[in-house]
Amino acid sequence: MSRLWSLFGFGLLVAGSRLPRVRSQASACRVSPTWWGPQRLSSGGRGDPEVMASAQVKLLSQEEAQAVDEELFKEYQFSVDQLMELAGLSCATAIAKAYPPTSLSRSPPTVLVICGPGNNGGDGLVCARHLKLFGYQPTIYYPKRPNKPLFTALVTQCEKMDIPFLGEMPPEPQLIDELYELVVDAIFGFSFKGDVREPFRNILSVLSGLTVPIASIDIPSGAGFKEVGIGALPCFEDGMWRRETLEGSSQTCSSP
Amino acid sequence: MIGAASRDPAEAPEDRRFLSTEEAAALERELLEDYRFGRQQLVELCGHASAVAVTKVFPLPALSRKQKTVLVVCGPEQNGAVGLVCARHLRVFEYEPTIFYPTRSLDPLHQDLTTQCEKMDIPFLSYLPTEVQLINDAYGLVVDAVLGPGVEPREVGGPCTRALATLKLLSIPLVSLDIPSGWDAETGEDSEDGLRPDVLVSLGAPKRCAGRFSGRHHFVAGRFVPDDVRRKFALRLPGYTGTDCVAAL
Repeated sequence: MSRLWSLFGFGLLVAGSRLPRVRSQASACRVSPTWWGPQRLSSGGRGDPEVMASAQVKLLSQEEAQAVDEELFKEYQFSVDQLMELAGLSCATAIAKAYPPTSLSRSPPTVLVICGPGNNGGDGLVCARHLKLFGYQPTIYYPKRPNKPLFTALVTQCEKMDIPFLGEMPPEPQLIDELYELVVDAIFGFSFKGDVREPFRNILSVLSGLTVPIASIDIPSGAGFKEVGIGALPCFEDGMWRRETLEGSSQTCSSP
Repeated sequence: MIGAASRDPAEAPEDRRFLSTEEAAALERELLEDYRFGRQQLVELCGHASAVAVTKVFPLPALSRKQKTVLVVCGPEQNGAVGLVCARHLRVFEYEPTIFYPTRSLDPLHQDLTTQCEKMDIPFLSYLPTEVQLINDAYGLVVDAVLGPGVEPREVGGPCTRALATLKLLSIPLVSLDIPSGWDAETGEDSEDGLRPDVLVSLGAPKRCAGRFSGRHHFVAGRFVPDDVRRKFALRLPGYTGTDCVAAL
């Protein structure tokens, strides 16, 4: 059910389906730059054996993740398309395991997938397509699209499968809570550095007010970034999802 | 909009379960041209799903060390590429694949897939013994990824043809990808080297010759056919459960 999983540098951070929904908390975010370092899981109090077992799995630093990627592309001759397809498929599988359609209210369950401007966004496009095949009803918001065949092809695949693309981001978290049962954060990945520019700054701000669960692809977007200041995406601590820093908290992850 | 996932009552009933060779090619063309899928994407999904199908019939915990060893025989065309992907995923799933890939394609996709297998320490045999007992003794099962629909045995060269002749005599289980190599994809009549696989893994959708398959298990593998395409080809596929990428027929 829940264990930290990292395959070829791709990972998924999801809330377990048995966790309660979190009420929005308006606390300021203390994002720690040490999030990327090897995680020391808090001991004691967390009796969940699966969380404790995750201590044996290594978490990658940003440099390590980039090095893994480079080796896969250069030495193993994997293509971006290949790995992106496997990543997106695995993410959709993990999400479907964490939030099976029977556990959600609508039939088909509605999911909002927010895709960022890079490879994490590409993973999100693949994920959305597989979620559709698994019986969900995804909608995509993809405001900044790289003009490269890889991404335009992925968009075409989604469009041809009747997955709608929103023209704008719902401005209020409540609107998202009303329309969608789950949000997939495919905004920024492990290679993200620097400032969060618009429109993503605003998007992260809206997402921080959600009550529906968020599944982040690879890393919660905005984590490790000091200046966001507006509530990074949820982290799991003390058995509950919180809107605060990830520093020192353990993460619950689903394996595909 | 939301929740209307049920079948459209005006839709004609679909009872076609097999595709002809032309239809299979047309379906693939539609995916590649209209849907802009890349060949690499589809080959990866098919190969991954084929490996998953193997795990369903031969689950790892039930296997002895010897039974985990899998010989994957790959031809030079797309079927062989799917075999290379399948071998790699079997390795990731902790089986012990070995590949026999005598006639190597020069196209970049095949070359990259070969590199990926080599880098994952999957051995490539330089020749296939003709003594059937040696293969029966060394491997727990064989995956036939030699010929896909529309590829004539004579097109793939001597080594592949000889390999098929050997595979036909094996007593260990045989899993064929898409069609049993050597069968006529339309009629299912087997040529001189036609195989009798225990497991058939149809990729995307079953081909006509699958109607004559009489082995133990038949799966459809590769969950990527969009609903619209399925309807366009008036195809009825078995229902996939949950997140499965294989479905038993």
